[in-house]
Amino acid sequence: MKFSYNWIREFVPGLEVDPHSLERLITMKTAECDGIAVSGELLKGAVLARVLEVENIEGQKNVKALVDAGPYGMKTVVCGAANCRAGIITAYVPLGIKTVSGIESDGMLAAADELDINRDHAGILELTADTVLPPVDHAIEIDNKSITHRPDLWGHHGMAREVAAITGHPLRDPADLSLLPPLGSPVQIEIEDFHLCPRYSALVFDNVTVQPSPLWLQARLTAAGLNTKNNIVDLSNYLMAELAQPTHAFDRAKLAGATIFARPAREGESIVALNDETYHLSPANLVIADASGPIAIAGVIGGRDSAISAVTTSIVFESANFNASSVRRTSSALKIRTDASMRFEKAQDPVNTLRALARALELLPILSPGIRLVGGLADNCAELKVPPTISLDLDWLARKLGRVLDPAEVRRILEALQFKVSDDFEVSVPTWRATKDIAMAEDLVEEVGRMIGYDSIEPQPPLVPCAPSFDPPEREFLRGIRRHYAAQGFTEVSNYSFISEEEAKRFGFAPEDHVRVLNPIAEGQELMRTSLLPGIHRNLVENAKHFEDFRLFEVGREIHLSNGEKPIERPHVVAAIYSRHDDGRAGLMELKRVSGGELRPAAAMAWEHPSRAAEVVKHGQVVGRVFELHPNLIDSGRAAVLYLDLTQLQQLGAAATRYQSVRRFPTSSFDLSVICPAREYAATLETAIRGFAGELAEAVEFVTDYQMPDARKSLSFRIVAGAADRTLAGAEVTAIRERIIEGLRGLHYELLV
Amino acid sequence: MQDLVDGALGRINSAATAADLEAVRVDVLGRKGVLSQLSKDMGKLTPDERVARGKFINAAKLALEGAWETLKNRFESEALAARLNSEWLDLTVPAPGVRPGALHPITQIQWEIEDLFRSLGFSVLDGPEVETEHHNFDALNIPQDHPARDMQDTFWLDAGGPLGRFLLRTHTSPVQVRGMEKLQLPLRMIAPGRVFRNESVDASHEHTFYQLEGMMIDKDVSVGNLIYFMKTLLGAIFKRDVTVRLRPGYFPFVEPGFELDIRCLICGGPGCPVCKQSGWVELLPCGLVNPHVLKMSGIDPTKWNGFAFGLGLTRLVMMRYAIDDIRWLQSSDLRFLRQFGQ
Ligand SMILES: [Zn+2]
Repeated sequence: MKFSYNWIREFVPGLEVDPHSLERLITMKTAECDGIAVSGELLKGAVLARVLEVENIEGQKNVKALVDAGPYGMKTVVCGAANCRAGIITAYVPLGIKTVSGIESDGMLAAADELDINRDHAGILELTADTVLPPVDHAIEIDNKSITHRPDLWGHHGMAREVAAITGHPLRDPADLSLLPPLGSPVQIEIEDFHLCPRYSALVFDNVTVQPSPLWLQARLTAAGLNTKNNIVDLSNYLMAELAQPTHAFDRAKLAGATIFARPAREGESIVALNDETYHLSPANLVIADASGPIAIAGVIGGRDSAISAVTTSIVFESANFNASSVRRTSSALKIRTDASMRFEKAQDPVNTLRALARALELLPILSPGIRLVGGLADNCAELKVPPTISLDLDWLARKLGRVLDPAEVRRILEALQFKVSDDFEVSVPTWRATKDIAMAEDLVEEVGRMIGYDSIEPQPPLVPCAPSFDPPEREFLRGIRRHYAAQGFTEVSNYSFISEEEAKRFGFAPEDHVRVLNPIAEGQELMRTSLLPGIHRNLVENAKHFEDFRLFEVGREIHLSNGEKPIERPHVVAAIYSRHDDGRAGLMELKRVSGGELRPAAAMAWEHPSRAAEVVKHGQVVGRVFELHPNLIDSGRAAVLYLDLTQLQQLGAAATRYQSVRRFPTSSFDLSVICPAREYAATLETAIRGFAGELAEAVEFVTDYQMPDARKSLSFRIVAGAADRTLAGAEVTAIRERIIEGLRGLHYELLV
Repeated sequence: MQDLVDGALGRINSAATAADLEAVRVDVLGRKGVLSQLSKDMGKLTPDERVARGKFINAAKLALEGAWETLKNRFESEALAARLNSEWLDLTVPAPGVRPGALHPITQIQWEIEDLFRSLGFSVLDGPEVETEHHNFDALNIPQDHPARDMQDTFWLDAGGPLGRFLLRTHTSPVQVRGMEKLQLPLRMIAPGRVFRNESVDASHEHTFYQLEGMMIDKDVSVGNLIYFMKTLLGAIFKRDVTVRLRPGYFPFVEPGFELDIRCLICGGPGCPVCKQSGWVELLPCGLVNPHVLKMSGIDPTKWNGFAFGLGLTRLVMMRYAIDDIRWLQSSDLRFLRQFGQ
């Protein structure tokens, strides 16, 4: 929200602080400022000027005007506005001499937008001799998020209250409630549910003239970032920007009946709003209605049909209070956010409706001379909640802040913020802070803390118990995994948790098996990943454009549906080795090595090379897969991929280390070469040999393989035999060898002996 | 006899190669060599002559062996020098084999900060990325229809079934709630992790980023304690003394809530583009834990209180390495990531 510096100063008489210093004070004590901008910079030095003569310039749209610029004397100005003509009074800005259309132009004649009075750029201003140009202003922009909890700070008077408390100046109240007439209005108010509409107040006027507002008021609205339209609509915005109370004016001639209803919309009702959009309403939406139907969406936007127009002469000027949640629900359901809905959803103070009407009574005669109040006040109001009283224990407060406090200073701060403070520090909360903001003593800690300034608090080391921290073992495990792969030359990548339907399908995953994002930010991010593979696949393809060989890994979570329960998150690691030129063998073997497991042949998945896929087995349990990516998924080169389930891996754990005595007797070893079909697995033979060798075989190690000319191959193994308590006799070793050979022959293998 | 010895000496000295020298050695010093010839007729000599001959032979032997040895040493050292010279290697060529890997910069900074907190007795907790509305919002004092929900644009998830509406956590704060449910009081904990906001991605906005949430619950924890703690922590992170300031900030789960700024590390205060000329850089939100939040997690706020803070890990990484575009961090582009290898 934007705040006009001049507007704030109007309520804090004697404020000497310049706009930039004020911005810093507000940032440090109240709410974060996003920036500050001059509003109406050209108003500095601007004066009224009468256009005396206008001369066309050959071949130009611009005209040459002679103007009487008052204190600046006669000036020749080149002007491009169509309405620049002799006799009008406009605004002159001394900008120095500049050549325009081949003529020396001394200064400029200004349009309303150039002076930040409003956004009109159709022509130069046309003024009257008694017009007073508004002063230069500064717009201080406050971060809306930092005043979410402060309904009162959505108006200048609320911010002025803060400024007065910060600087120690008095605060002037623009609303004089004594101006309000007694009850007795020509309109009746009927409220169906006081929870949704705690208060609805209104005044009726006739003899209304709809015309532009005075320049000072327009300039204020412009500085505050609001549009200007006509005096009645502008007044509504002015009250909102000043008192944080949204109001609305209905053209009384367009209303059916003399009763205004605040009620839930009926099924099937709709309304054409001021923005020309049609909204279909439901009973969840509160509306303002006359006898014929909705005339406004309560707290959000008015209806087009009852809006103020050039021919309006009589108005119902309402000022109401609505339930914050209800306004917020309606505004988000109908997808329409307005300055009014933004304020109501912060929980406005019901007391404020009458303050806005009192202020309107003061301003309307200025904005619409001759306007007449018809009857008295209409005010239908729920029983208002009594604001809470909070006992403030000053010792407790000092302990919370960590600073000794002078009771007189605490009192001064709270009273400057218009809390009432009793002798024994029973603190009454003002109504505008009591709707949602302040309810407990902790809230007062903030009020006092921010005003004394947190920089006045000395840092103090906390006294804490000496206790070991609790650290979930999975974190250390995950660290170990990351360290391992980085140490083996893999670079850690990080992919989004989202994948596209298309990616899911490319890997053969059914989209309906995924948790779905209801409001994806972009196309291609509509599913939660059930596998890290689509991401890694993308990384492989992209990085292959820049590198011939690389290794990468990711530790991330798969997210799976769980029968409508909370989705399950399973940590996995995926590691990949890409090589543009080799035959892919080295990468697979390297992944086998870093996996630390054994590989067991397995049927390939759709995305795997059909002849190069295996399960990773650790302690007899399958914990993942190693495979080459199917060539359909990668244009050139080969990618070997390792995919491991980290939950399973962690559960297996590292076996506790146990010392075993170092052998004292020498071992004997011998080699055997077995001829077998080309696709025989070494592991099959190894298992067979182990079986035949018996307990005295300490190790059976694969040595090498050799491709035979006849498409068969020979696999060589080294068998190490030994016993813990003696040296084996030659005959014993020979017996083992004979047993193995006999056994293999029994399985129809040939041996190269 | 002297001629014989001189001749042998001449032959030794004229050997041009180690092979020549070896041949001469056999001829001169071998069993049938010059020295053997000299001692052949020893038996026929008188004792005096024998003594003289012995002396002569000894002298000749020393001379011949000396000459041979000198030359042999020369040949050996020449041969070694030649071999060493021939073994010249260019050690400036790149080492073959696997190049070093790298941890993601987020991982690196996260570990660094985890270690720091653990040294201060904090537990490091983890939580789910898919959260319930209760843990992400309600339990943190952000009820349904509260405007504060706008502060965090949320990804909503359809997980099927009647309870099927879940969300991606918008902050790591839900882990606070889980920590309070799980740990004994008093507690000190941090929760680093991935969080999600439904925001369009550009150079300074990401929908996926990393945060670290911290919380301490004890007795009589004050704003002064919070300031001390933050100063210590940030000094350790930035490895220098930092000046901090607190100003009011609104976060429903703390009361009072603060924005913590640090004195600009680039200009030190006078103002520069990094701090937008203000001399201060907004770094983290923090505050005293709202009693409602404690109560909702079953903690008695009249006995216990504490502070909480959130640290943007992604932001910290960008500050430390002067990364100008947040999108690099989720790019998985090795041209970027390899720069962070050790
Ligand atoms: Zn700076």
